[in-house]
Amino acid sequence: MDLKRVDTERAYHLIREKIITLELPPGSPVDVDQLIQELETAPSSVPEALKLLAHEGLVSLPPDGVFVGEISLPDLQQLSELRSLLEGFAARLAARRATEDDLDVLSALREEQAQVPRDDVRRLFDVDHKFHRAIARAAHNDYLAQVLDRFYGLSLRLWHLAGPEMDVLAGAVKEHLELLTAIQAGESERAESIMRQHIGVFYDHVLRAFKERGD
Amino acid sequence: MVGDDGERALVLGIDTGGTYTDGVLMDYHAREVLATYKSLTTKHDLSIGIDNVLEHIHLENPDEIRMVSVSTTLATNAIAEGKGKRVGLFLIGYDPDLIDSFHLGRHFSTPDYFYFAGGHDLNGQEKEPLDLEGLLAKANEIKGTVDALAISSYFSPLNPEHEQRTREAIASVCDLPIVMGHQLSTKLGSVERATTAALNASLLGVLQRFVIAVRRAMERRQIHAPLMVVRGDGTLMSDEFAARTPVETIHSGPAASAIGGRFLSGRDNALVVDIGGTTTDLALVEDGRVAIREDGAMVADYKTAVKAAQLLSIGLGGDSHISVSPDKSMVLGPERVVPLGQLAAQHEQVRRRLEALARRSWSLTQGEWLDYWFLLREPSPRDVVEDDRHKRLLDLLRSGPLPVPEILKTMGLLHRNQLGAETLFSQEILSKGGLTPTDLLHYEGRYVQWDREASSWAIQVFSRSQSMAPEELADVVWRRMTATIVGAIVSFLSGLPLSSFNQADQGPDSWFFKNSLVEGHPHLSTEFRLRHPIIGIGAPAGILLPPVASALHTELLLPNRFEVANAVGAVGGSVMVEEEVLIYPRLSSGGLDVVGYYVQDGESRRMFETLEDALTDGRVRGRDRMLGAAARAGAENPQVDIVEIENGLDSYRLRIKALGNPRLSR
Repeated sequence: MDLKRVDTERAYHLIREKIITLELPPGSPVDVDQLIQELETAPSSVPEALKLLAHEGLVSLPPDGVFVGEISLPDLQQLSELRSLLEGFAARLAARRATEDDLDVLSALREEQAQVPRDDVRRLFDVDHKFHRAIARAAHNDYLAQVLDRFYGLSLRLWHLAGPEMDVLAGAVKEHLELLTAIQAGESERAESIMRQHIGVFYDHVLRAFKERGD
Repeated sequence: MVGDDGERALVLGIDTGGTYTDGVLMDYHAREVLATYKSLTTKHDLSIGIDNVLEHIHLENPDEIRMVSVSTTLATNAIAEGKGKRVGLFLIGYDPDLIDSFHLGRHFSTPDYFYFAGGHDLNGQEKEPLDLEGLLAKANEIKGTVDALAISSYFSPLNPEHEQRTREAIASVCDLPIVMGHQLSTKLGSVERATTAALNASLLGVLQRFVIAVRRAMERRQIHAPLMVVRGDGTLMSDEFAARTPVETIHSGPAASAIGGRFLSGRDNALVVDIGGTTTDLALVEDGRVAIREDGAMVADYKTAVKAAQLLSIGLGGDSHISVSPDKSMVLGPERVVPLGQLAAQHEQVRRRLEALARRSWSLTQGEWLDYWFLLREPSPRDVVEDDRHKRLLDLLRSGPLPVPEILKTMGLLHRNQLGAETLFSQEILSKGGLTPTDLLHYEGRYVQWDREASSWAIQVFSRSQSMAPEELADVVWRRMTATIVGAIVSFLSGLPLSSFNQADQGPDSWFFKNSLVEGHPHLSTEFRLRHPIIGIGAPAGILLPPVASALHTELLLPNRFEVANAVGAVGGSVMVEEEVLIYPRLSSGGLDVVGYYVQDGESRRMFETLEDALTDGRVRGRDRMLGAAARAGAENPQVDIVEIENGLDSYRLRIKALGNPRLSR
C-alpha cells in the first residue's frame, strides 16, 4: 500500500472541504506549511493534494505561490454554459440508452431525495449530485461522466457561496421527477430541455447571490 | 544459495501472535537468521509491538531490507471478539425457509441479513429476475447503520451477473464499501460464500488500518521495501491485496509457524508443533506444503470458504494457569497468565509477598493467594470506566499487583465474581499473574529467564496446598501436559474429537490411549507411532516436547532458531494467486440439448460452440490472468499450474494457480 497515496488522498479531502465550505475563501493565498501542520500529515502530501485540486479548478498554482481558485462573473457564465450543454447532452443520451437498472437507480435516488428533511442541506446536495452522476452513467459514455465529475467540487463551492438558504434544492425535487419521467419515457428532447433549464435555474440563483454579495 | 547478483538480500519477518510479536532479520537466499527480537504483543494496537520489533532488531542499514512480511492474528481475533465493523448482508436468490429451518442464519456472522429475489441455477441461467428495486430501497434504509455491505447471490460462481449488477447500482446511491461473494470463493456452498463475504466486509477497515500502521512504522525506520502479508495457507500476498481480502489472513499465524519449521529444518514431511505462551498449535507439512483444509476454515463459530492451513490449536502453553478448581483438584489452562517469576522480577512487592507466603509453614495456605491481578495500562479516555467498584479496583492496583484474596478483603467482598471485572481484562487494562509451567521450569532450573527464587517459593506454596512434594507436583503437571499434547496430536491426525481422550473416561478407547502413554500394563503393550518427525517450535518446545516425541515413538527436530520459526515462516512462503474457472454447458430453451459451453472466470462469462474451444479459452485466458495477478500480488517469475477437474454433468473446473518467490525490492 502506497502511504504517499493514502496521505495525499486524506490531505486532498480535508483541503477540498476547506475550500468548498469557503473556510479558505476564493482568491486567498494558501499557506502550505501551515496546512501541513494543521492536518498533521506528511509534508509531501499537501503539495500533491494541491496539484489534484488545481486539476479540478479549485486552486491555482502560479509561479509565485498557491491561491484558492477565484470565482468571477465571467467564470460563472462560462461554467454555466458548459454544464448546461454537457448535462443536457447526458440527459438526452440517458433517455435513449438507460437500462432498467439505470432507471431503478434514478428512481431510488429521487425517492431518497423526497425523504431528506429540507434542512439537511448537505445530504440534499449529496443526493442531488448522485442523481446527476447517475444520469451521466445512464448516458453510457465514460468520458462524459468523467468530465462532469470534475465540476462537482466547483458546483459545491458555488452552492456554499450562494448560501445554504438558497431554496433551489427544494425545487429540484420536482424537476428531478420530471426529468426521470422524460428519461423513462425515452423522450430525449424533453429530457435535454428539462436538464438545461434545471442547470440554468441553479446558476441564476448563484449569479444573483454573487451579485448581491459583490454590492 | 546466493542471489543472482551475489549480494545478500535482507528480509524482515514479523509474526504477531497472541502473546509475543517476534521479528527476525534474515539473509533470504542463504536462509540464515541474522538477528531476532521478541516483543510483547500489544492487542489494543498491534502496530506498537511491530514498531518495537523494528526499533530493536539490529539494522546496520535500513536500505538493505528488501522485503518485510507479517503474519497477523488480527482478523482471527477481531472475529472471535466481535470487533469487526457492522455489515449488511444482501442474499440474492436464497431460500429464507431453508435457511431458517436449518438455523443457518446465525452462521452468517452478521445479524443484518436480508433476502431478495434473483440468483441463478445450476446451469448458470437466471432463476428469477433480480429485485434491484428492493435492494436499492434496503441499501438506502440501512446505509446509516452499517459500515459495509456484502452481496452474495445464488450460484454466483457460475454466473456473477446479479452480484455485479447489484454492486454497480448500490454504488450509485451510497458510498459504503461493497464486497461481492464470487470474488472470494468459487465454491458453490452458498452459506459459506455469504459468510465469507460478510466477514471480509467487516474486516476491511481493520486490516487497512493495520497495513497503514505497519507502513508508517517502516517509514519511521527508513525501510523502503515491499510489504507482504501471510495468508491462512502460508502463502504471501501484497499489502494491497491483504487490505482488500482481509478474510484470507485467518489462521495466518499458525500457517507461518509451519512454513517456518519446514524452512529451518529442510524437512518436507513432518508434524509441526508450536508451543507458545498461550496455545499449542499443530499443523502438518506434506511434500513441503502446509496441509490445507479443503472444505474451508472455521473461525469462531463461523464456517468460511477461505482456504487455510488445517490446524488444531489447544489452550495450553508455557504460561497456562496452574490453579485449583472449586473441588480442590489441580487445573491446567486454558487461561494464560503472567508467570509469577516474571511478575516478581518486575515488582519487588510480589517477590516479598511470595517469600513471606513460603515461610508461613504453619498453615495450609490456599492456592488462591498465588492469583495476582495487576494494572497493565491506565485507561485511555476512550475506555469507559464508570462502575465505582472498578474505579476503586484501579486505584487499589495503581500501587502494584495484589493477590486476589487481598483485593477482596480490602474491598469488603466475598467473591471475585462480585467485581465483574471481565471488561477490564478484555480491554487489557488489567491483567492476571499466577503459577505456570514456566515457574515450574524455573524451579527445576531447566529454563531461567526471570526470578527463579520467586518461582520456587510459589511452587512450594502451591504443592503444600495440594499436600504434595514439589517434585510430585512437577511430575503431575508434566504428565498432564504430555498427555494433553499427545491427545491433541492423535485427535488432529485421526480426525476424532478431542473429548474422546478424556482422562476421566473409563472406556476401551481411553484405556488404549492411557496405556500407550505410560507403559503400565504387565501383559499388554500398546503404543502410537507417528510416521513423521515432530518439528518443535516456540520457546518451551525443547523442554516440553521430548516426552511427547518419545510417547509417539518418533524423532524430535528442534531446528536452529526454532524459537522464532513463526517469524521465519512469514518470509518463507511463496506468493500465490489462484482462481477457478468454471466451464459448463449452455442448454437449449427446452433444457434438453446442449447448445454450447460457457466459460466463467472472475472477469467475465464467454460462450463457445464446442467444449474443446471452451477449455482452450479457459486455459489460455486463465494463465494470462493469473500471471498478471501474481505479478501484481508481488511474485517474481511466477509459474502457472493448471489442474482440470471433471465436475460431472458435462461441466469442468480449471484450478489455475500462479506461484512464485516474493519479489524483493531493487
